Amino acid sequence: MKAVVVNFQRLGRARQWNISTIVLTVMIALTILIGTLVNSHFASWGNLSNILEQAAGLGFASIGQTLTILTGGIDLSIGMIISASTVFLAATVDGRDSLVWPMVIATLAMGTSIGIINGVVISRLKVHPLIVTLGMAAILEGCILLFTLKPTGSIPFWFEEFAWGRLNGIPIAALSMFVAFIGVALFLSRTGLGRSLYAYGDNIEAARLRGIPVNRVCVFVYATSGFFAALAGVYFVSRTGIGDPRIGVPFTLTSITPVIVGGTLLSGGKGGVIGTLFGVLLLSLIGNVLNHMNVSTSIQWVIQGLIILAAVSFYLRKGDK
Amino acid sequence: MIGNTQGNNGHSTAVGFSSVLEPLKLFSKYREFGLVIFALVLIVVATSIQPRFLNPVNVRDLLIQAAPLLIVTLGQAFVILVRGLDLSVASLMATVAVLATEFNAESNAMILPIFLLAIVFSATVGLINGLLVTKRSVSPFLVTLAMMIMLQGLRFFITQGAPGGSLPSGFRVLGNGTLIGIPINLLVALALAYLLYLLLHRSKFGRGVFIVGGNPRSADLVGIRSDRTTIWCYVICSVLAGIGGLFLVGFVGTVDNWVGRGYELDSIIAAVIGGVVLSGGRGSILGALLGAFILVLVFNVIIIVGLPVQGQLIVKGLVIIGAAALYANWVKN
Repeated sequence: MKAVVVNFQRLGRARQWNISTIVLTVMIALTILIGTLVNSHFASWGNLSNILEQAAGLGFASIGQTLTILTGGIDLSIGMIISASTVFLAATVDGRDSLVWPMVIATLAMGTSIGIINGVVISRLKVHPLIVTLGMAAILEGCILLFTLKPTGSIPFWFEEFAWGRLNGIPIAALSMFVAFIGVALFLSRTGLGRSLYAYGDNIEAARLRGIPVNRVCVFVYATSGFFAALAGVYFVSRTGIGDPRIGVPFTLTSITPVIVGGTLLSGGKGGVIGTLFGVLLLSLIGNVLNHMNVSTSIQWVIQGLIILAAVSFYLRKGDK
Repeated sequence: MIGNTQGNNGHSTAVGFSSVLEPLKLFSKYREFGLVIFALVLIVVATSIQPRFLNPVNVRDLLIQAAPLLIVTLGQAFVILVRGLDLSVASLMATVAVLATEFNAESNAMILPIFLLAIVFSATVGLINGLLVTKRSVSPFLVTLAMMIMLQGLRFFITQGAPGGSLPSGFRVLGNGTLIGIPINLLVALALAYLLYLLLHRSKFGRGVFIVGGNPRSADLVGIRSDRTTIWCYVICSVLAGIGGLFLVGFVGTVDNWVGRGYELDSIIAAVIGGVVLSGGRGSILGALLGAFILVLVFNVIIIVGLPVQGQLIVKGLVIIGAAALYANWVKN
């Protein structure tokens, strides 16, 4: 009985995937084509690898966001976890070589712990994720700004390799982003816990009745989201060399866009991180093309809004919700 | 098996907590009463720490600051009641304010036309939000998020980044002046609240709002056009945000591209504190009013007792989670 249900779900998921993957691949190809028409150097490896390298921050942040949206929730504290991580890491390391690795681990642990608190409050106190993570964002922002009002701290020069370095010409940051995406995708499709996220997002009561430890799943999801937000924070410290209390602010909302573009439904239960990866790549490419076309930021915002609406309308027609 | 254990655990914790918080149940029947008590306790505590709190100047400042948030929260409550959420209110406030300054009007006679124009513009935005939510069944979160970003783009496109116009001097009076000692903007907010009270709690439309929020499908079955009701709620919310934006500009005195920043979240927080339930169908105008008032009160208390201004953010976060947890677990609906 159980196996039948699971199989049915996986089939449904596969269909959803195929549509979004094909459409997104076509869109990405189109964007690269338009980019090449605008600027002949667009499709050069130099430009493309730069885009990939810069996409890593958004990529890490939206992995966690995908998991929360997959379970029918949302994480609005991602931006502030990123800010908190950059400030914490840069301020504690403060240029000292020996402290880099311990503090990177401590930063990731901090992000995970914040996520665990989110998950516990959501699952135990039965408060809507939107409110819990919103409240958490406000609390974190207050704490960060109590600590510092301006960018602070520093890191040893060699640590910038993570965000700027190349391995045989491939950006290390982009490589880590791909590894993270593939790892989480395998986790979602191959492990029981991963599959239970879909059941949770589909119908939490049904998942509970099927014996899935829903509270633990919830805590796990928000902990993962916190972990990846902290990883994005580590990336930004490596990229900018400093802990900036404002750097995460836009990512709370921009981390949602690739998830939606990638075909994960906001109502939960359908989608996956590979779609999100395509979403991240597509949005980064579009941003780069628009920059090449000298389109002002204000018009880019309008386009971003239209992309969200277009993506949601598209999946509503193709999907069954 | 595991599922059962989980269920039992959840149950026993809930019982444990509720016995600890038994006194709170006294207020469960009329949550507005509980909110008034909470506000009074807050005022007493603040006054005992810092007597300056009840100084007429501080009270007047507090009320003037509260008025724009009161107006926006009333609108937010309507949208939340029909299971929605409006993230575009702050962006709309700023866009309306920036548009208003584009006229460079000098004469106070222009105040009314500017208000009318703001209302028409806001209503259009609300209509688009409402249509997308109902006719295209896009989630309110995403519709209003996209609207927020697009309005932001429109605003920067119009101003090219630097708003430079001016408003008639009368706006300053509306946003900052007093009439026989009472702030004018508060009087307007309360008048609007009374009108909306009549609309929500004393009219057929209002009953429809609660039924649609409770269950849109059954609303259709009993002959209420749930789509139309929902669209009206978005229009009401946006119009109030537009009006709130103009009053906020009148209070602040200058227009920049980010007037009202944070009001989208503050208005949601205020509505939740006021007992408007995010899942829709439950809440009241009085509750929304009290929620907004309490939020501004908390902000003011933090400053007046000498805590750092960042404390506002921390307390805001704790209050929203606390209030939502309280309503979800211990206060009967």
